Amino acid sequence: MFNEIYELVTGPLAWIGWGIFLLGSVYKLASLWSLAKKKDTSSIYYTKAKFGLRSIAQWSLPFGTLGWRETPSVTVVTFVFHICLILVPIFLSAHVILWEEWFGVSIPALPNHVADVMTLLVIAGGTFFAWRRFSVPEVAFVTSGHDWFVLGVVVAPFLTGFLAYHQIFNYEVMIVLHVITGIAWLALIPFTRLSHMLVSWYSRAYIGSEFQGVRHCKDW
Amino acid sequence: MKKIIPALLAMVLVLVFMLPAFGQEDIVELKDPAFTAPKRPAAVFKHDEHNELAQIDDCTPCHHEDVDEEGQFIEGDPDYKCADCHTVEKGNGTPLQLAYHKMCIDCHTEKKAGPVACGQCHVK
Ligand code: HEC
Ligand code: HEC
Ligand code: HEC
Ligand code: HEC
Ligand code: HEM
Repeated sequence: MFNEIYELVTGPLAWIGWGIFLLGSVYKLASLWSLAKKKDTSSIYYTKAKFGLRSIAQWSLPFGTLGWRETPSVTVVTFVFHICLILVPIFLSAHVILWEEWFGVSIPALPNHVADVMTLLVIAGGTFFAWRRFSVPEVAFVTSGHDWFVLGVVVAPFLTGFLAYHQIFNYEVMIVLHVITGIAWLALIPFTRLSHMLVSWYSRAYIGSEFQGVRHCKDW
Repeated sequence: MKKIIPALLAMVLVLVFMLPAFGQEDIVELKDPAFTAPKRPAAVFKHDEHNELAQIDDCTPCHHEDVDEEGQFIEGDPDYKCADCHTVEKGNGTPLQLAYHKMCIDCHTEKKAGPVACGQCHVK
């Protein structure tokens, strides 16, 4: 019974998840691009690589911008959260073994205890963001159900992965939940707020270009 | 003195017969010493019980000395360790960790029985 379920979620379901993620991402970018071309050509006209990259570089530095300096706690958690969030699923040793055994790609792996700490940092970061959505009035005010859903989707594979790795609760149940939540994480990127992963680069480049190229001032 | 010598001889004999018996202790888990810094708990594997339960009568596929052109395993001597032929570091041929995983997981996947996820074999 377990073997059939495991085969289903790591086989067809995983392919569907990757397919939705990749095709959905292309669709999302293409549809936003054509919308911009139709309704907002001037924004495209003003966006310049030089200004855009300058702005993205500046915003990639912790405390590199006025925005980042405003609430240091949020800045620190945001950077740690996003770095761990991207690195763990790619370089986790269990995932590296699967990259190798299923796809024949070998990449270096994080030591288990490092990945373990990074996983806990993601869970802690998620908890911090949840606390802010509850307790900080200006954040609570702009929080909708969608935000809670997205936060749950993002943290779920880390929580279930951690519990599976440590074999806490029923391992078979946990590993299946982990794979399902992991696939959901990927597949929902293009269709939720998580699409900021795809489009925020462009938003930043545009804002940077308008400030530097039109208003002749910094956007950081 | 007359009694001590046969007693000593008997003890030596007992030891001589016991040592291989210790050596032949049933395999209940696999923790290959070739992995000098193991990253996972030992893999559960009760050799005889497993093969009885899984109804494997031959010693191949597990004990082999090579694979033929069709990819079929050629029978080999069970006294060799996997690590005698498969190295931890990647070289030519299947590296040790992949050799274990392929051997065990491929059959379980095919038979739709037996462990296939990490924690089912590497039990804490
Ligand atoms: C499902 C796979 C499998 C099958 C089938 C199998 N073995 Fe093994 N056997 C192993 C593994 C794995 C080891 C450990 C090898 C190592 O440590 O490198 C082992 C070790 C051994 C050893 C060495 C024991 C020791 O204490 O060092 C002997 C002897 C042995 N097997 C005999 C047999 C015989 C005889 C058969 C057929 C009747 C058989 N095996 C079938 C997997 C298998
Ligand atoms: C006497 C040497 C020898 C021993 C001992 C040995 N192997 Fe092999 N094995 C080979 C050779 C040679 C090949 C074919 C070349 C290759 O893939 O490395 C092979 C191939 C394999 C393959 C097939 C790889 C493929 O792509 O089809 C697996 C799996 C494997 N061995 C696992 C094991 C396991 C597990 C053990 C211990 C129970 C073991 N081997 C013991 C020599 C050995
Ligand atoms: C040729 C096929 C085959 C190979 C090779 C094989 N297995 Fe199995 N194994 C099975 C089957 C079939 C079952 C299910 C038996 C049942 O529950 O009826 C099983 C069950 C198991 C179980 C659960 C039952 C038990 O004995 O505790 C473990 C653990 C296991 N295998 C470990 C291993 C490991 C480790 C290896 C590699 C060294 C391995 N197996 C190689 C066929 C295989
Ligand atoms: C069917 C049983 C089985 C499954 C499933 C399995 N392994 Fe293994 N694994 C083994 C066996 C047998 C060995 C060799 C014996 C040992 O542990 O030293 C091994 C060795 C290893 C090793 C090298 C030894 C060490 O501890 O560093 C690593 C790492 C490893 N496995 C990780 C994993 C990961 C990660 C997964 C899941 C993606 C996994 N294994 C799934 C049976 C299994
Ligand atoms: C983006 C999605 C995913 C994330 C964020 C993620 C994250 C994690 C984390 C945090 C762990 C535990 C690491 C630790 O505590 O040391 C883990 C383990 C694992 N993950 Fe994922 N994962 C994802 C998707 C997947 C998918 C799709 C699969 C399979 C197809 C998978 C298979 C595994 C396996 C097999 C383990 C090891 C469990 C064990 O050690 O027993 N993961 N993952």
